[in-house]
Amino acid sequence: MTTLVQDALPGENKGAGYKKLKKTVRAFGIDLFIWSYMILASWKIIYEKIFIGDRYATFTWNQPLIALGLGALVTLVLFFTRVSIGKAVSGLYESRPERTVLSEPYTILGYVLLIVTFVSGIFISQVSITEFLSASGLHGARRIFTALFNPNFAIIEQALFAAIETIYMAFIATMLALPMAFVIAFFAARNLMNGSKLTMAIYSIVRFFLNVSRSIEPLVWAIIFSVWVGIGPFAGMLALWLHSVSSLSKLYSEQIENISNGPIEAMTATGAHPIQVIWFGVVPQIVLPYLSFTIYRWDINVRMATVIGLVGGGGIGTMLMQYQGLAKWNEVGLLVIIIAAIVWIMDYLSSKIREAIK
Amino acid sequence: MLNVKDLHKKYPNGTHALKGVSFDVTPGEFLVVIGLSGSGKSTLLRCINRLHEPSHGSISFEGNDVTHISGQPLRTLRSNVGMIFQHFNLIPRKTVMTNVLSGSLSRTGILKSIFGLFTEEDKEKAKRFIKIVGLEGKENQRADNLSGGQQQRVAIARALMQNPKVLLADEPVASLDPATSHSVMQYLKKVNEELGVTVICNLHFLSLVRQYASRVIALKGGKLIYEGQPLEIDENWFKTIYGEEAVEVTID
Ligand SMILES: Nc1ncnc2c1ncn2[C@@H]1O[C@H](COP(=O)(O)OP(=O)(O)OP(=O)(O)O)[C@@H](O)[C@H]1O
Ligand SMILES: [Mg+2]
Repeated sequence: MTTLVQDALPGENKGAGYKKLKKTVRAFGIDLFIWSYMILASWKIIYEKIFIGDRYATFTWNQPLIALGLGALVTLVLFFTRVSIGKAVSGLYESRPERTVLSEPYTILGYVLLIVTFVSGIFISQVSITEFLSASGLHGARRIFTALFNPNFAIIEQALFAAIETIYMAFIATMLALPMAFVIAFFAARNLMNGSKLTMAIYSIVRFFLNVSRSIEPLVWAIIFSVWVGIGPFAGMLALWLHSVSSLSKLYSEQIENISNGPIEAMTATGAHPIQVIWFGVVPQIVLPYLSFTIYRWDINVRMATVIGLVGGGGIGTMLMQYQGLAKWNEVGLLVIIIAAIVWIMDYLSSKIREAIK
Repeated sequence: MLNVKDLHKKYPNGTHALKGVSFDVTPGEFLVVIGLSGSGKSTLLRCINRLHEPSHGSISFEGNDVTHISGQPLRTLRSNVGMIFQHFNLIPRKTVMTNVLSGSLSRTGILKSIFGLFTEEDKEKAKRFIKIVGLEGKENQRADNLSGGQQQRVAIARALMQNPKVLLADEPVASLDPATSHSVMQYLKKVNEELGVTVICNLHFLSLVRQYASRVIALKGGKLIYEGQPLEIDENWFKTIYGEEAVEVTID
């Protein structure tokens, strides 16, 4: 039964010219960006700041424009040789059997790009070995480390209560996120929503909001909520909850998108009611992954709760910030030990539980 | 008992998979549908139990027009028509028993089924069918840990739980090795002969067709081009159905 080999061929050539044009335009854009960037970085950072040593070199907005113009010139010339990275990543070059990819001119340009970025980066991050090893600096570090390794156990009760606050706050945030994410996930699953234009529109809107709320760090939410409901565990819980809803919705919906249609079809074919179809055909495929995601989320939330505490989200993080502000390093030492212990225990427990239910 | 008349199926993407197929099925027969990949065999079976909506034409089951029914009448139709699939489509992580019991969902209340409260009668029945397909003692094993042939037999038992009058089988042995294929086909034959269930089965291998079918129809490009006895398919018909270049492959 060999007759079907040519199934996909007709129609393949239709958009070929258009596709090639699109690739070329994209390749040109990539090259233009790379060259303008290299010119600007070499000029403003490597030349002016490193070679001339001008710490306060003036910047005006026509400088990037000049770089762009020069970049365009260089691109125009080099686009037709084999040093175009844009053409390489767009797959517009024939590979040459006598050369390996690593020795192609465009790869060498890639190395240059990496070096320029590395050198600029070292300068911009103000990397300085002398400061790292300066005598006064080392002295300060020794003082802090000594204190950290001599934790003050006088505050242990208070610290443990704060730790419990953090763990519970993370737990409640996860638990409250679960039912919402459970419902939202169905609306964010492409395979359930691609039925009509209306459902597809709902899908897009839900996905958009999920992506936006997920891209805002919980740290930022915590700052917002600590103004809204006041500093304390409630603000932290709200921040974690919001972030958990969007992350869990995304993970759950991806799980729904991955379920196989077979059991659903089989249950439908027995004459089962749609609710029975979901219970017997869909749920067995998603419960364990859902459970596993949720436990992992709790684990993440405990860590995040600590960080969020630093900006007023309550729990052990807030306590840490207070003692750090007072430069009470022995107390900070104790808190650090407790945080490390919590993170380690949560990590261990969550991975054990997730393994057990696999 | 089943009459298909001038059936057309056009998928939303424009594929015209069935172009006016008509045939009748008589009670108790073992009807095999053959045809090249893409000729519309699966589409045809899925139109019969309405997993796909027919675009034109009519299907009637025991004298009732079922072409466009929905809701409870549709679920009743489906409970009368069992189906088994090429990839078994068992519920993952569940036991053989639960999988077989899921065949009785249509007569179990929604809440009862959610809590797993199937009737004693159904449980007895499930055990009996598990025994019939030769899986006695495996009731409490996870179905997805069984071999392919065993999984397909679980699927047969699940379909039998529906008390079906017709059993649709979409390439039931296409993912099994030759020996296992025969064993599964023999169980289907047994169901057909001993329990009197009418079988409509898609198959790829002519050697299986000759051995198990009581009647054959062939599809080509969505049209019915042959109807007759399995032994009447000679060299000429073979080439018409599968194309000039095709060579018969046997399974034994
Ligand atoms: N859900 C679908 N949406 C769109 N087109 C489909 C769909 N299912 C099948 N088709 C198309 O309908 C035609 C018939 O497919 P069908 O699956 O019925 O063939 P088949 O005879 O069962 O083939 P096979 O032997 O490969 O299973 C094919 O061209 C296929 O691409
Ligand atoms: Mg098929």
